[in-house]
Amino acid sequence: MNAKQIHRFVERYLEATGCTILEKSPVHFKVKLSPAADRELTNRPYYWSFVDRTGVEPETMSLLLVTDAAKYDAMTAEAESAGAGAGGPQGGAAEQAGMAALSRSFGFVPAGLGTRMPRDDLHFGSRRLEQLFAAARRGGRFVCLFQQPDERALHPYDSAPCTPWLGVNVKVGFVCDMKREEMHAFGVSLATGTVVERFFDRLQGLKLSPRLPANVHVTGASLSLKKAADLIEQALLQKLKTYDYGWAAAANERLKEELARLAHYYEPLLKETDDKQREQIAAQYEARKEEILWQLKPRVVTEIVNAGVFHLSGLA
Amino acid sequence: MHPIQRPDRRASGTGKTPHPDVEFEFDRTWVDELAERTARNGPWDDWTLFALAVEAERAKLVTSFDELQALRCLPAFEPMPHQIATARKVLHEMGGRAILADEVGLGKTIEAGLILKEYIVRGLVRRALILVPASLVLQWVRELNQKFGIPATAQKKAHSWHSDFVVASLDTAKREPHRELLLSNDYDMLIVDEAHKLKNKKTSNYQFIQQLRKKYCLLLTATPVQNDMDELFNLITLLKPGQLGGQSDFAANFVADKRLPKNEDRLQEALSAVMIRNRRSDGGISFTKRIVRNIEVKLSPEEKALYDAVTGFVRQRYDESGRDLASMLSLITLQREVCSSRDAVFLTLVNLFKKTAEDSPMRAKIWELVEFIRRIQANSKAEKALEIIRTTNDKTIIFTEYRATQEYLLQFLKQHGIHAVPYRGGMNRGKKDWMMDLFRGRAQVLVATEAGGEGINLQFCHHMINFDLPWNPMRVEQRIGRVHRLGQTNDVKIYNLYTTGTIEEHIVRLLHEKINLFEMVVGELDDILERLEREEQPLEQRLARLVLESDGDADIRRGIDALGRSINRLRADAKRSPKSSLDSVLPVLSVVPDGADAAAEARP
Repeated sequence: MNAKQIHRFVERYLEATGCTILEKSPVHFKVKLSPAADRELTNRPYYWSFVDRTGVEPETMSLLLVTDAAKYDAMTAEAESAGAGAGGPQGGAAEQAGMAALSRSFGFVPAGLGTRMPRDDLHFGSRRLEQLFAAARRGGRFVCLFQQPDERALHPYDSAPCTPWLGVNVKVGFVCDMKREEMHAFGVSLATGTVVERFFDRLQGLKLSPRLPANVHVTGASLSLKKAADLIEQALLQKLKTYDYGWAAAANERLKEELARLAHYYEPLLKETDDKQREQIAAQYEARKEEILWQLKPRVVTEIVNAGVFHLSGLA
Repeated sequence: MHPIQRPDRRASGTGKTPHPDVEFEFDRTWVDELAERTARNGPWDDWTLFALAVEAERAKLVTSFDELQALRCLPAFEPMPHQIATARKVLHEMGGRAILADEVGLGKTIEAGLILKEYIVRGLVRRALILVPASLVLQWVRELNQKFGIPATAQKKAHSWHSDFVVASLDTAKREPHRELLLSNDYDMLIVDEAHKLKNKKTSNYQFIQQLRKKYCLLLTATPVQNDMDELFNLITLLKPGQLGGQSDFAANFVADKRLPKNEDRLQEALSAVMIRNRRSDGGISFTKRIVRNIEVKLSPEEKALYDAVTGFVRQRYDESGRDLASMLSLITLQREVCSSRDAVFLTLVNLFKKTAEDSPMRAKIWELVEFIRRIQANSKAEKALEIIRTTNDKTIIFTEYRATQEYLLQFLKQHGIHAVPYRGGMNRGKKDWMMDLFRGRAQVLVATEAGGEGINLQFCHHMINFDLPWNPMRVEQRIGRVHRLGQTNDVKIYNLYTTGTIEEHIVRLLHEKINLFEMVVGELDDILERLEREEQPLEQRLARLVLESDGDADIRRGIDALGRSINRLRADAKRSPKSSLDSVLPVLSVVPDGADAAAEARP
């Protein structure tokens, strides 16, 4: 993800959660969070439980989100030299001393704690961006949407049929002591049981709305969601069967070697020692075997990122 | 957020799999919830967030088994080539279980952080436990947070054990009630710093680490072998039992003598599967230069008088004691202190006075010396140090051996309008950290009596004044190592202050000209001193004897020359027979240039 993509991502998140953008440039946002976004991003569970219980008007936080730190710094430096030092540096000496004291006690204090508008640089891998990613995932798990019909093509008295589809985004991990991942987007027609791939990309070109539009009627589903999930699992398995599993064979080979090495160490030891100690050593042996399986056993794991029901007119 | 796939360590139940070599599991946790929301017609989430979630997951996708993902998440951080090479080797060839045994100052912490970060980014580590000496806890927390963006916390209260990334002291962790709690957990990764504390398998440290359940494990130590071969065996057994065979195999195959390995090549091969050791001398690791300047200080007539009086006093006592070196310790200290400050001498004299019997003739003599002290008005060395500090006009660290000198210097600098802070071994951790903060911030000068303590990193400072020189060269090296380490971007300027016509002049000559200490690498010095000790007495004692027994300046000079020669001979020996050193079997990682190891990826 480059700086531009991050900027676009942040902008869409802020809009979707109803935040108030106070100031923006191509490299930063100053934003007053909406209550929903504040709950997700500011890590203030006690404050929010207080608001919920007492019903007071919540005071949300404001953030400075910088999506390209280098350009932002250049921009502000320029503005500052133009304004000839109007407005002092953030935080006085007392505040800095306070921060230093906190950091002595805890080793590390996140930047911006205690300042009025904390600044976050959102590079890929930064904590704030990770948090936005996580917030998007929590806030976008299940949807139910209807395709808007193309208005010009329809006669006002006609009604276009819409077929329900189950769309699922699944992350597949190939894991041993290392890991590789893929994303797949499956769609299943709940009317016919047809399974398609790259479903998410198809959705992106469509106009979708959470409300059933006029001139549209929904056809019934003949497949249960459970059955549709079975179909997706089958399709995924079929796809995965065509892959190369050399990495798994290699991992199994290492696993076998490691277990043999353990046996070579522990089995004579078990024979030598007396009953009292043997139990202890046997337990240790078991623990080491478990650790090695945990570390090396090759497996393919799946994780559903999100899923939804989509009523589409174009697809059957 | 990124749920780690806890492997089912028993056989999986479904039986469905795309290939007999792998287990397969299909996530169905979502079906019921989606069905319920459909039945109740809501609540539904936002379409934009749904799309953003997919976008975020796509961006985070780990598309390759091999490529280091951590680096693209750390734009502001540039590890050195040997650190990256080490991380790669641990990840790809060692399966995440390794002993990181780099020499001091090459960045073992960085390597461990890099490996941990990579596993976190790949979703293979969600919980990690980091056990370090108490004095290093906060430093680890700081490094992991600042350099690696890993939200590590220092263990303070019982509940902090529940954080995903906890840094704690090994001594705390192994005690109840913590021990039981930790043993009941599974840790995706365990890191132990200063792991040479785990060399004895009978200790509670060792048994505790052995019982902890962990997937990946890193043991960090600069000295994997300190005394004998068994230590090496124990350390490796902790990580990978059987790697060197059973205890009896090991003894038969690899041990010639307690301290001497045999079948070195095979041993090295076996070790290289679990251990990485980078050395300063291996090249590929560049340090800034050390610029050493010996600064001559002329004693004032009053100071010189005190020096001569103390020297006479000490030698007289020595002769009276029948030349017994062991009983002379405090007097030798006196001899060294007189080169540092009158305050240090005074304090030792007062203590000596208290210890001598009331009717002893010694008391009068001590009183005489105190009279000499009274006459001294200024400290010539301190004036010189002030001059240096004023000309560099930069952060400077002053090392002295003596508390009294430290106090004096702090006061002296304060009088001259220079902000200086103290640092000494006796301070508690919080105070040490506080002093470091002050030095990093407002203070220009740090006056330190201790250099050996773990965890003082002063890369931001590159001027160092040795106000007095310790007679033990290792202590000098430790001092320099605080400043001259990885991350130091400037050449380091070292000023050795020595007073003419005193023993100091000889010490400087020995350390600088004769053994060229200031340009030596750490491991080398260690080795030579150990050899010296095995052959004769430790260097400090030989120096003491020289001072006490020599007959005038020329005699000392001859003695120092002889000492220098024998050290250089030992050094030549050490170079000629590298195989005899136990250290030589430790596997060394040769740094591969970037890209050379971009092996073909096994694509599923």
